[in-house]
Amino acid sequence: MNAIHIRGATKVFNPGKSSQVEALADIDLAVEPGEFITLIGPSGCGKSTLLRLISSLALPTTGSVEVNGKPAEQARLDRDYGMAFQTSGLFDWRTVAKNIELPLELMGWSKADRRRRSSEMLELVKLGDFAKHHPSELSGGMQQRVAIARALAFSPSILLMDEPFGALDEMTREHMQDELLRIWRDTGTTLVFVTHSIPEAVYLSTRVVVMSPRPGRIAAVIDVGLGDRQASTRDDPAFFSKVTEVRAALREVEG
Amino acid sequence: MNSLKGFSAPIVAGVALFGLWEGVLSVFSSDGFVLPPPSEIAGAFIDNWDAVFRGARITGFVVVSGLAAGVILGVLAALLVTRFRTANETITPLAVAVNAIPIIALAPIFNNWFGLTSPRSNQAIVVALVFFPIFINTARGLTQVDRSQIELMESYAAGRARTTREVRVPNAMPFFFTALKLATSLAVIAAIVAEYFGGRQDALGPMITQSAGLTRYDDAWAAVLAGTAIGAVLYASVAVLERWAMPWHSLIRSHREET
Repeated sequence: MNAIHIRGATKVFNPGKSSQVEALADIDLAVEPGEFITLIGPSGCGKSTLLRLISSLALPTTGSVEVNGKPAEQARLDRDYGMAFQTSGLFDWRTVAKNIELPLELMGWSKADRRRRSSEMLELVKLGDFAKHHPSELSGGMQQRVAIARALAFSPSILLMDEPFGALDEMTREHMQDELLRIWRDTGTTLVFVTHSIPEAVYLSTRVVVMSPRPGRIAAVIDVGLGDRQASTRDDPAFFSKVTEVRAALREVEG
Repeated sequence: MNSLKGFSAPIVAGVALFGLWEGVLSVFSSDGFVLPPPSEIAGAFIDNWDAVFRGARITGFVVVSGLAAGVILGVLAALLVTRFRTANETITPLAVAVNAIPIIALAPIFNNWFGLTSPRSNQAIVVALVFFPIFINTARGLTQVDRSQIELMESYAAGRARTTREVRVPNAMPFFFTALKLATSLAVIAAIVAEYFGGRQDALGPMITQSAGLTRYDDAWAAVLAGTAIGAVLYASVAVLERWAMPWHSLIRSHREET
């Protein structure tokens, strides 16, 4: 069974009005469980819209989206996926631990279980000492780590991330990429990740989905196949050749 | 130590201001007819303590009850328009239109509705004046929410009521308290001005008009002082309530000031 299966999905905003926008056309995509998929493309190529279709925060105009063998809507109601956005979306009025516990509260976990889980998650993102802090006391990178911990807290089978590292500086960003890969390996979560950055896409994913704009289509799907990432991967010729390949595909769609 | 430092500067400035006021008047206007010196106002305040205290109690009740009712109605209306689109399309334009009416100008008309000597008309003015800033600001706070936070709640399959409780209400708190602070001073002004036109005759409003009419300006000022005290106590209470209700907010502020 595919973790995600999109068949002939299209998305039209404001259909029939003068402001009609064809955001996505003919999207077919199948994602295996445990894959790390990156969506990349120029602005307006509908990559965020595609992510929203997968999460059923938006419904396709035609076509279907299945997640774990059920309609996306059902998967959302079954809480099959976690989400992280470009802005951390943390609640200022909750402590760091309480932010991570929010989804667990909604799922009716007991207080002791929530406490245990949030401290585990904080260890995972290396913020064990910050449980009682409020988000406003944390740096941008730390906030983003809390958001990831929150998304992973209830062990969703699928993690959807919309440019989560977009607002971070380069050093923090690379560090966060390694953290995410470690978490992905440790948890076996299926990951769909939206980014603007070609090296980020290549470094992180098993497959890079290159999208073209107006309307958004899948222009190319590139198998990365770099194996386990290490610090040296970023300087590996194989890494650079994949970067070149993705860049060429992107040039073509923009050309 | 830090909080003490925060208080000492305005106290020094206040004492200096009163000193200047007293000093200037003793040189230029010793009869105290145009503006009585602080010492005379304080004297009138103590001499008329019984009447001033009774007036303050009556006006204070009008202020507090009107404020409470206006706040409750404003918050309920804000929750309603955030929850229901039709309510929003009906109430909001109506509220904006009604808000264009200079409500204080309705005081003599309200007296006709509720009875010339009934404090009900004064309360009604306070309620109407308090309602709008509370309603508009709270509604704004409930709707101007970080979109990703709403989507996050959706992704958790959280119900609408839960999303309101977890996201919209805490988000609206700073908006609400800003409006509430504004409303406390509005409520005192509304009550006293409304009392100029009717209501109980031993309230602060009539005390000011009657004393001024008899050129007993020190008594009028004593009543003004009592009104000021009501406003100050209310404002301070709201500030304390705000800190208690939003401990995270002062944290954000202090953090922003640091960076």
